Amino acid sequence: MLAALAGAPLAAARDSVTLGLQLEPPGLDPTAEASAAIPAVVFPTVFEGLVHLGVGGTVAPLLATDWTVAPDGLTYTFHLRAGVRFQDGADFDAETVKFSLERAITPASTNPQKVALSHIDHVEVVDALTAAIHLKAPYSNLLQVLGWPAAVMVSPASAAGNVTHPVGTGPYAVAAWQRGNAVTLARNPAYWGPAPHLASITYRFIADPAAATAALKAGDIQGFPAFPAPEAITALKADPRFTVDVAPSEGETLLALNNKRPPFDNVLVRRALSHAIDRQAVIQGAMFGYGAAIGSHYPPQNPGYVDLTGLYPHDVAKAKALLAEAGYPHGFTTTLRVLPLPYAKRAAEIIAAQLAEAGVTVVLEDVEWATWISQVYGRHDYDMTIVAHVEPMDYDIYGRDDYYFGYSNPAYKALLATLDATVDETRRLAVLGDIQRTLARDAVNVFLFEYPYFGVWDARLRDIWLPTPVQLVDLATARFDQAGPGAATAGGLSGAGGVAWLLGLAVAGAAALAAVKAGPRYVAGRLAVLLLTVLAASLTIFLVLQVIPGDPARVMMGMSADPAALAALRHQMGLDLPAPQRYLAWLAGLARGDFGLSYTYRVDVGTLMAERLAVTLPLTLYAVTLSTGLAVVLGVTAALGAVRGRTGRMVDSLLNGIAQLLIAVPNFWAGTVLALVFAAGLHWFAAGGFPGWDIGFWPALKALTLPAVALAAPQAGILARVLRGELVDQMGQDYIRTARAKGLSLRQALLRHALPNALVPALTILGMQFSFLLAGGVIIENVFFLPGLGRLVFQAVAQRDLIVVQGVTVSLVFAVVIVTFLVDLANAAVDPRLTGGRRP
Amino acid sequence: MTVMITVEAATDGRRHSAALVAGLVLSGLVVGAALLSLAWTPYDPTAINVAGRLAAPTGAHWFGTDAYGRDVFSQVLAGAQSALAVALAAVGVGLGCGVPLGLLAAGRRGWVEEVAMRGSDIVFAFPALITAVLIAALCGPGAIDAIAAIGLFNIPIFAKVTRAAALSVWARDYTLAARLAGKGAGRISLDHVLPNIAGLLLVQATIQLSLGIIADAGLSFVGLGTQAPRPSWGRMLADSQTLADLAPWLVLFPGLGVVAAVLGFNLLGEGLRAHLNPRRGA
Repeated sequence: MLAALAGAPLAAARDSVTLGLQLEPPGLDPTAEASAAIPAVVFPTVFEGLVHLGVGGTVAPLLATDWTVAPDGLTYTFHLRAGVRFQDGADFDAETVKFSLERAITPASTNPQKVALSHIDHVEVVDALTAAIHLKAPYSNLLQVLGWPAAVMVSPASAAGNVTHPVGTGPYAVAAWQRGNAVTLARNPAYWGPAPHLASITYRFIADPAAATAALKAGDIQGFPAFPAPEAITALKADPRFTVDVAPSEGETLLALNNKRPPFDNVLVRRALSHAIDRQAVIQGAMFGYGAAIGSHYPPQNPGYVDLTGLYPHDVAKAKALLAEAGYPHGFTTTLRVLPLPYAKRAAEIIAAQLAEAGVTVVLEDVEWATWISQVYGRHDYDMTIVAHVEPMDYDIYGRDDYYFGYSNPAYKALLATLDATVDETRRLAVLGDIQRTLARDAVNVFLFEYPYFGVWDARLRDIWLPTPVQLVDLATARFDQAGPGAATAGGLSGAGGVAWLLGLAVAGAAALAAVKAGPRYVAGRLAVLLLTVLAASLTIFLVLQVIPGDPARVMMGMSADPAALAALRHQMGLDLPAPQRYLAWLAGLARGDFGLSYTYRVDVGTLMAERLAVTLPLTLYAVTLSTGLAVVLGVTAALGAVRGRTGRMVDSLLNGIAQLLIAVPNFWAGTVLALVFAAGLHWFAAGGFPGWDIGFWPALKALTLPAVALAAPQAGILARVLRGELVDQMGQDYIRTARAKGLSLRQALLRHALPNALVPALTILGMQFSFLLAGGVIIENVFFLPGLGRLVFQAVAQRDLIVVQGVTVSLVFAVVIVTFLVDLANAAVDPRLTGGRRP
Repeated sequence: MTVMITVEAATDGRRHSAALVAGLVLSGLVVGAALLSLAWTPYDPTAINVAGRLAAPTGAHWFGTDAYGRDVFSQVLAGAQSALAVALAAVGVGLGCGVPLGLLAAGRRGWVEEVAMRGSDIVFAFPALITAVLIAALCGPGAIDAIAAIGLFNIPIFAKVTRAAALSVWARDYTLAARLAGKGAGRISLDHVLPNIAGLLLVQATIQLSLGIIADAGLSFVGLGTQAPRPSWGRMLADSQTLADLAPWLVLFPGLGVVAAVLGFNLLGEGLRAHLNPRRGA
């Protein structure tokens, strides 16, 4: 497996593929939440709509074979494909169409495109295979909207369970979902259309751009749609192992301005900012030259585009003049809220530098996505922010008074109404031109660039990608050049429950043993303290999470939250109950071993933690073993040197230097360098990721080796120094002299007598290291994209999955307390004097 | 972040004087860089020059330039400043809260001591990084977040060290004499205990300083520490991850900065300990 782990995916052409995705979907129902990560996995693979959006927004038949539009534009009649079945065997017919679309517009619906779909008044079942959509008013975008992921067809029997167990009509069905790691799709044998070439598709979630690049190069994945690292594109293009697709997307990247807040309520200021920013430099610096400059909120590749990039050329003098005219001759100071996305961070730094030249001082402030959604998007509490608006045809957001831009222009709203009512294509395009010109003239935002969409593929993967306006990977036609046997896909994580039981037994056994040795009163006292600590910790974490900004329901609903839908979701999640009641309910659950249901994944938090523990616990044990082994070798050698002659002391000093160096090297830096050398360079190890224990013990252990080494190195340094100190102390004791007098060599005396005694204080350090590593590996887990406990809690905080944060934190506190308890007991068992008074 | 453990070392004096010298040199270098960056850097560390980005180290740019064309040498200098500022402030938090707590625990004993020590245990039991993430979610990421998170974990360390050292001072004859002379526990703590444990606290402060620097680097590596455009070593390392094979100097120099600072203050602490406590020399 040494070579196989890195080489196999490339060597064996086959009918399965593993693709990387930057974001893991919170659920798998595209009609329930706004996250773009959901359709990236299930659309149009699992779910299909009535129509298919092709290149440039052309509408093609899919579940509907053809359609007619009534002359008044109010009724669309669709003829449906016969013989289509859902993956659970349910029939697809006109009733399904009625159910799917009317469900999306009910008051309780949380559909992300509820606003657009609400143009529908009702759906009429004409006959089994004919459905008529009746609109409230003419809406010329309807066909496009029906091609969006939010308008897919769902079956009444399975719709409620789609979040965790999606059932659609598509060519693939979800076979497995290992949360935090991968989703696997398998070919749907009963698919109505031509069977896809690939039997299975695995999506691996790799958030970090560096890790994504490494995984591609190491061959762990064979493709990455929406590849997040523009800086790597040039190198990947030059690499014959890959094909790289670069295409414009529907993502208008904006420097959004709060038009309601001074000084941005002044159009002169907004125009000044547009002049002050050099878009080409932003594109060079933030996107490494990829991406087309835009002058308004409209993608250059779409019909009706008007080039307005010349309206505000880069001109610092003009910007200053406009600012002076607006009453800010000396500029002003403002805040730019920056999302944790590479393009936003890079663009923010460049824009701050450019605006400084025009006299505008920009304070950069990082915000998490959850905070952004509630603070910027929800409460409009911001000056400037950078974000890409990826929804197709989203110029209508400028017509909403309650949108976060704070833009309100009656003339613009009139244009939107005209557009909706216009069916004639030429006239529509003319209106679209006016729409773009109005936005540019009002300089609502600084329009930066159209976000480029990168697809990076194994060179032998064919026909995988089409640049559709909804940014989807079309896998129906994808295939490998040579067909061959399928390689193993990522395995599941199991056996965590067993580990937990084993751990519990070990604790109980140790407690019993210590009770015999150190006295039951001492043990009972320690247990009481332990319980109190955990209780205090649970209350602390609950209280902290209550005051953290960011509403979990809002985070899940994304950028199109409808108040009624939000309230419905909050009720579903139990967030409408008072805090004390929620705390007590959670505590009562904990006592039963029930950690509650994750807000985002909608599965048991205990299960979620067990899955992650199956990575983190072995990694921690591995690291502790490595660090102990290295520390004993270093410590013993150094101690031997210290008690020997002149050369020995030099060895001691040298080893001390090495230990000091190990302590001083940050583990994430060591991890990066190790990955660079041993994975990307030498291909000895995988660049990261965890294949699961199912593929066998040794291959799985191998995947953990680099992270374990990175984690172990500083700990080994610390432990080695403690050991050496203790050993030198012990070697000065009388019993060693006695042993030496009896004829033992220095080495024998040290190994046989001093080492066992020196290990007792080392045990305390070891215990602390174990608990530290259990939670502290999160940075390393990020560097090597391991689906561990630390990453779970990191993601959970970002997504405001509070119940997961609570559960993991309390469990970690519990683990720390238990380990301390065990170490105390072990020390007490060794030295019963400790049970007497206070602890020293 | 790294494990918050004080490392006791027992060794001979000569090695310690070598450690002291090496520590002084390295930490002097880092402090010097930080001070220098206050007054002068070869380039403005935040000045962007997109045309000259990703230039390899040359005479003009000793450490090369980054993805925005900023001078890496200037950034490493300025990074020393923010790393030291965060670590020093965090040590200040630990000293300011932990020492009084430890003195109180040693002077009062009884339930005060029990509460202080159990409180320390609870703080210790909390996973450090999760605490930092939560503080960041609460008040936004930034230097303050890093100081609060690192400082919070410094408090129990200083409390425990102070208490243990103060207890041994309380057992001395001169404190007994002071008590017989009618001095209160508070007075004795300030007049007799504190001066006697000051050296020990200085050593601990130096070690916490080095731990603070590595913790700050870790926090800014995951985006929780000092915010852009202010340079920080951890963020420089995080930003350079995707560019590692394109521009290895971006990975190398900030990492060396962290290593120099951590190693320097660790050695300094070890040397100081031996210097102040010559009994440990064998």
